[in-house]
Amino acid sequence: MNSPLLQFLLKKFLRVIVILVSVAFITFLLMHAIPGSPWNSYFSSRQPQIFLGVDEAWLREINHRFGLDLPLWRQFTRYMIGDWDETGRFFCGAVCGNLGPSIRQRGRTVVQVLFQPPERQGFWQSRFGYSIRLVFLGTILSVGLGIPLGIVSAIRPRSALSRGIAVLLAALISIPNFVLGLLAIVVLASWLKIMRVLPDWSDPGQWIIPALVLAVMPLANIARVTQATLMNIAHEDYIRTARAKGLTFTRVILVHMLRSALAPILTFLGPTIMEMFTGSLIVESLFSFPGFGREYWEAVLRLDYPVIMGLTLIYACGILFLNGLIEMICAALDPRIRFIHYQGAP
Amino acid sequence: MITFFPWRQAFKKKTIWFSLLVIAALGLVALLAPWLAPHDPYEMRTKQTSLPPMWVQGGLKPGEAAFPLGTDRYGRDVLSRLIYGTRTAFFLALTTVPLAALVGALIGFLAGYIGGRLDTFIQLTTDILQSLPGILFMVMVILIFRSLLAPTWLNGMFTLMIGFAAVAWVSLARLVRVNVLLIKSQLFIEAAVGLGASAWRVIAHHLFPNTLHVILVWIINNVPAIILLEAILGYIGVGVTGATDGSEFTVVSWGGMFFAGRSALNRNPWMLVIPSLCILLLSMSFILLANFLNESTRRQG
Repeated sequence: MNSPLLQFLLKKFLRVIVILVSVAFITFLLMHAIPGSPWNSYFSSRQPQIFLGVDEAWLREINHRFGLDLPLWRQFTRYMIGDWDETGRFFCGAVCGNLGPSIRQRGRTVVQVLFQPPERQGFWQSRFGYSIRLVFLGTILSVGLGIPLGIVSAIRPRSALSRGIAVLLAALISIPNFVLGLLAIVVLASWLKIMRVLPDWSDPGQWIIPALVLAVMPLANIARVTQATLMNIAHEDYIRTARAKGLTFTRVILVHMLRSALAPILTFLGPTIMEMFTGSLIVESLFSFPGFGREYWEAVLRLDYPVIMGLTLIYACGILFLNGLIEMICAALDPRIRFIHYQGAP
Repeated sequence: MITFFPWRQAFKKKTIWFSLLVIAALGLVALLAPWLAPHDPYEMRTKQTSLPPMWVQGGLKPGEAAFPLGTDRYGRDVLSRLIYGTRTAFFLALTTVPLAALVGALIGFLAGYIGGRLDTFIQLTTDILQSLPGILFMVMVILIFRSLLAPTWLNGMFTLMIGFAAVAWVSLARLVRVNVLLIKSQLFIEAAVGLGASAWRVIAHHLFPNTLHVILVWIINNVPAIILLEAILGYIGVGVTGATDGSEFTVVSWGGMFFAGRSALNRNPWMLVIPSLCILLLSMSFILLANFLNESTRRQG
């Protein structure tokens, strides 16, 4: 137990557990603090739904079935650890990967809603698979276009080209992505008839437009960060040395600067990719894309408690995993970061 | 000491001229909204719903244009709503972002200056908050606060303020913490302490002035964020509104205009384009301004 690496890993693991439990706890408290119940929420009061035969007895029974009549702390432990069902058998909670039954979608569990593909199709056809693939495409687009744009504008910071890029990026950040999406639908689908309003999403050729809409804001952010990091490094001594050796500016940027700039850029990428997931919640419902975006809004506005909890937990796992991965890549790239980790310095 | 806004450099640049002019003009519009707006933004006209802007074929002819930008599906004048929406946008930008900045700067300062257990705790808290999906967190906070408060204009703003501040302070707290740590380790702080400066003097004369530019740039960078956020929340239908009874927005905002416009999208996409052009102009100006400030602090440091 005394090896520093093992201690380091153990500390990391504990931290992840603490964060996950806190995230679950905060979400749980907040969502129960929202007034209403899954049968009478803000959203359903906006668009009234008529439940025939809703009476007290029925409500009591269905509340009991989902455990909503228990005290709050019991509901939390029921969700996280598990509980005994009516027949007295113990069932395991979120700890075992059982995210509970969906309240609004009768007879399906949250895991089924998210991960179960339609019949006779692979995992990638499930809601989760669709969303993951869309975000992956968006990531490729935003990184593949953003970093080169940032480099180009860092090479000659005062030139007309880089000033043009700066204005373009500012404009791209300033357009809300749902406006872009709606305009894309109106212009491309309704007017020009290039794409269909409700395309067949199993054909990946159609994906480019939602992926582009999704990628626009992260693209601009990545380009700005790349440019800023490169400019910050440009004044360091080793860059001057490299220039004094007679290397061309382009080579210095591509070889010397980019390597040390990669760590800050990568660190920025983690939250950006996860933001793309939240962005995809909106973009997906615009394009009626079969990912989990629509589920999410419905769940929040209609207070489908287990779906909110499940999606938030998956999101938190995703961001923790991504950040850990990026940290590891950074440590591999930059010996200084490795050193800091083992020393436990700030 | 750092000059806070390099006016002299600023006036040499066309982009800065552009953004300052846009901000000033829209600020004037916001101030003078009651005098500029041709109609009451709340008034509904059942006979004149969903009119297109005057330059669209089939709309009103230019001479008789009572509604230059058309009306929405309840027959409310789009131009007046746009003008009053500017007010909302500026109010949000001027109150929400500084509030978030105050919270973030204070917490980051404490974490960086005091350090130790408190720092560990604050670090963990920021990690937890950053693992939550931001927009969902905001929506939940807004839904909770809205149920507690009476549906008025000010309370609608207040809920959005709380929701934004609850999420946004995290990034500034991190920035300020790192910055304070960096400055604390520098020689001039040691010299000041060695000369017998009190803790308060170190904070007030050395640490605070040297972190102020970080805070300032962060504020300007985040003004577009709150405007975009209001638009997105408005589009979803949980933006600045006091109403919970299914009636339309009691607060006129650009986000609310998207919400009103999205049902008539195919017939009249202008309902969407007009407010988003305003958002584009305003937030672009702030981003260009932030770019410029970044650059000038980089040149100084």
